[in-house]
Order: sequence, then C-alpha cells, then structure tokens
Amino acid sequence: MSVKKHDTPMCDELKKGAWPSFVDDVEVCGLAGKQECLDVLGQLEMSYRHKETHWKHGGIVGVFGYGGGVIGRYSDVPEKFPSIAHFHTLRINQTSSKFYSSNYLRKICDIWDHRGSGMTNFHGSTGDMVLMGTKSDQLEPIFFDFTHQLNTDFGGSGSNLRTPACCIGQSRCEWSCLDTEAICYDLTQTYQDELHRPAFPYKFKFKVSGCPNDCVAAIARSDCSIIGTWKDNIRIDQAAVKAYIGGELKPNAGAHSGRNWGAFDIQKEVIDLCPTKCMWMECGELKIDNRECTRCMHCINVMPVALRPGIETGASILLGAKAPILDGAQISSLVIPFIAMEAPYDKFKDFVASLWDWWMEEGKNRERFGELMQRQSIQELLRRTGLKAIPQMVKEPRSNPYVFWREDEVEGGWKRDVAAFRKRHAA
Amino acid sequence: MAVDKEELKAKVLAFATKKAASKSKMYIKDLYKADEAASPREVKNAANELVKEGKLEFFSSGSTVMYGVPGFGKTLEGAFEEK
Repeated sequence: MSVKKHDTPMCDELKKGAWPSFVDDVEVCGLAGKQECLDVLGQLEMSYRHKETHWKHGGIVGVFGYGGGVIGRYSDVPEKFPSIAHFHTLRINQTSSKFYSSNYLRKICDIWDHRGSGMTNFHGSTGDMVLMGTKSDQLEPIFFDFTHQLNTDFGGSGSNLRTPACCIGQSRCEWSCLDTEAICYDLTQTYQDELHRPAFPYKFKFKVSGCPNDCVAAIARSDCSIIGTWKDNIRIDQAAVKAYIGGELKPNAGAHSGRNWGAFDIQKEVIDLCPTKCMWMECGELKIDNRECTRCMHCINVMPVALRPGIETGASILLGAKAPILDGAQISSLVIPFIAMEAPYDKFKDFVASLWDWWMEEGKNRERFGELMQRQSIQELLRRTGLKAIPQMVKEPRSNPYVFWREDEVEGGWKRDVAAFRKRHAA
Repeated sequence: MAVDKEELKAKVLAFATKKAASKSKMYIKDLYKADEAASPREVKNAANELVKEGKLEFFSSGSTVMYGVPGFGKTLEGAFEEK
C-alpha cells in the first residue's frame, strides 16, 4: 500500500537523542502501510510550527449502551490529513496485575492493525490498555471483536468509575497483604454499571496495592486507595538480621549495587531512618516497638529476608487523591486504618455506597471526591460515612475557632420550654 | 421511598426536553431537578435507561460525559465534523 510521508524536520530532530523516540516507532508503523501514522506526524509537525494543538476532543463516548471507553478525537485540519479526520482513542480494560500471554497480545495487535492505526500505548499513567486512532464506523466492530474473540471489555472514561487497577499482589509478591487481583476483579464486576455509564460528577478511581510500598501509586492517584497492611507485629528472623550485619546477605536484595557503598550499617541505613524511631539493637538483636510503626516498609525493603509483614493482614483505606486540575494535586487521606478485606467485601462496599451517595448529592460538576472532602470538611465525611474520627485525620492545628453542633448531637435538641425559661429569667 | 421507575423516566425525559430548548447538553446533576424526591442514583439509572432506549444521548466534552436530547443542539459527530 502506498503511503505519503510528510516533511517533518522538527519531529525528525527528536530521533537524534540517546533514547528511542516515539517518532521512529510511529514512522516505522506508517511506512509499513499505515497512512494514519504518517499523518499524525505531519499534524504534530504543524502543531510544533503553530505552537498549538490541532486535535479536537470529545463527542463520541462509547459503543451502544456505553457512556465510556472511547475518547473521541478529531483533527481540525482534516483536509490536510484526511486519514486522521477521526482518530478516536479506546480504553481497554486491562487484566488484573497486567498479566498477558503473548498469544493474547498478538490477537490485540491483529485486531488493531485491521481496524485501527496500529498504534498502542500500554499502561502509562492510566491502567487501561490504550489503543490510539480509529474511525467512528469501526467502533462497534472493534467492540464485537474484543468481547467475542478476547472476552475483553472496554474500560472507563468520562464521569464514570475508571477501570480499577492493582499491583501484582500475592501472585508474585511476598510482601502483599491482600489478594489485590481478587479485589480488583470483584470491584470491576460489581460496579459494571458505574464503569460503563456516567454516574458521578466526575471521574472516580479505585487502586489496590498489596502493601504500603504502593506499587500502583494508589495514595497519589486514586479517589479511593486500598493499601494492604497488617495489624500485628513485623516478623523478625534474628539469624537473618545477623547475616545482614555480617555481610552474608546483601541489603535491598542486591539492588543499588552499581557502586561500592561500603559495609552494611544497620544503625545508619535502617534504624536511624525509621520515621518513628521505633527500632533499636539490644544484646545483638533487632527490637521493634510495633505500636509506633507507621508501615513505611523501609526496614522490610532493606532486609527482606530478615523482616516480613505481620500475618494478621487487611487494608488501610484512604480517600481523595487527585492530579492538579482544579485545586492542585492532593494525596489520599487515611480514613480507615484497618479493614479486613475478605470476599465479598460487603463492609467495604457499604462504605463506598455512603461515599458515592454523598458525592452524587453534594458534588459540583467536575468536582473530584477529594475536593468535596476539602470543601465540606472531614467532619462532614465522618457524618456521611458513620466513621469515627482518628488522630491521623488531623492535618494541622485548628484554625477555625467555631464548632457547629448538629441538633442530634445536643441533648434535648433545639427545642426548649420558653415559659419555664421565663420563670427563671425575666425578659 | 423508591420512586416508580417508568414515572421517573417520563419526568426526566420531559425535564430534559424542556431544558434542551435553551441548553442542549446537561450534566447528570442538572437532571436531578427532574424529581426532587428521587435519589441521585435513581435519576442516573433512569437517564441511562433513556439513553439505551435512544430517547436521550450521551455527549462527551472530552473529560466529562453530559446528556442531550436527540435533535437538540449538536449531535455526537456533528459537533466535530467539518462541513
């Protein structure tokens, strides 16, 4: 198939650096017969020249019955680049933990070569597989192929629940305190309606990390972060602690070995770095005051053979992380220090229902859950969810001297006997 | 008290059609006003069923999904296509 390559001197500059360039990849795909890819580079060159985008955004939202999964994209210079007049993006629900067989990935590529541009973007800041560039009339056939040939669904976009994401969890990680994949899959199935049809004032994200290392960055990116933790004590193998001190075991499992850092110093590299100073050496043994441990994971990361998370495991729930769109970036706030996460997760789902009821009722258009928490206060969050206040919710000393009581918090409510009052107090 | 679904759908459709004359694309929050007695979730479910029936349609601004009434304002594709 003959294709036309545009003159793209500025894009070509990007091929000269030390790192592989997307320009090379897109061009290779284009020269193999995909005019869309060459037109994308042509339009990008034009955008570099004009210093403004030539993409329009929106319109198409999904296939029939879906209010998400497709992000409409159109060129505003279609006469110059007709093959990308429509260039819609598809979000495809990734597998839990992103485990694929090569056979599955080949089938995706075959479908996408046949019905789309061939360009993909796997697992960037979003959990979904992202397929870039197709036309409106291809959307239904692509959906049919994905659901019937691959048993794979579209993901979430727009004001929907976004595709839940999780780390590899207990499938491969010894630190995981949760079966993250089971939770992610269960949430995906339970909330199919919210995932595929707009339900909220804005997007809502669940992310599940098996331990506080938080490999899916739940604390930074999700409106509701589910992070594995433990209730009991860190398990200590004192013989292995001695082996680290003696140099028989390499700290950090041999990572950071690119230069000579000298002999391992447990005091300097572990004990002194503990944020709550809850560790010490006593008679050649490592001691931990577990009551003071904040689950930072540093000691466990440095000495994984000697230290392991406890065995009474569950999750901490945090709320309200978001990227800086309206009010600036925000990290999740801890609201439930420990919840047992056992299928079918009813207690957690009841909690989620209370969050959504509040947000759907009070949230402003395009207001993330974290912004609602900021606007209406943690106090209101507690009232709507029935949670009890904990010290971790206090971010700073009170700056507002007023306390407003609700009627149900005051004995006798607001009603009083005025006649009896006047008997005691002259008007 | 749960609201009758068909009755609610009729109210949402009537409200959206009336509003569409002046503002063709609505947020879900705008539709809550169709029936103050219904919960937001009930209104959302009713609106989404109306979309399935083709009586309402989704419209994406790019990051947020809005609702429209077919025939009012720009259509899904029409908003973006060059004439």
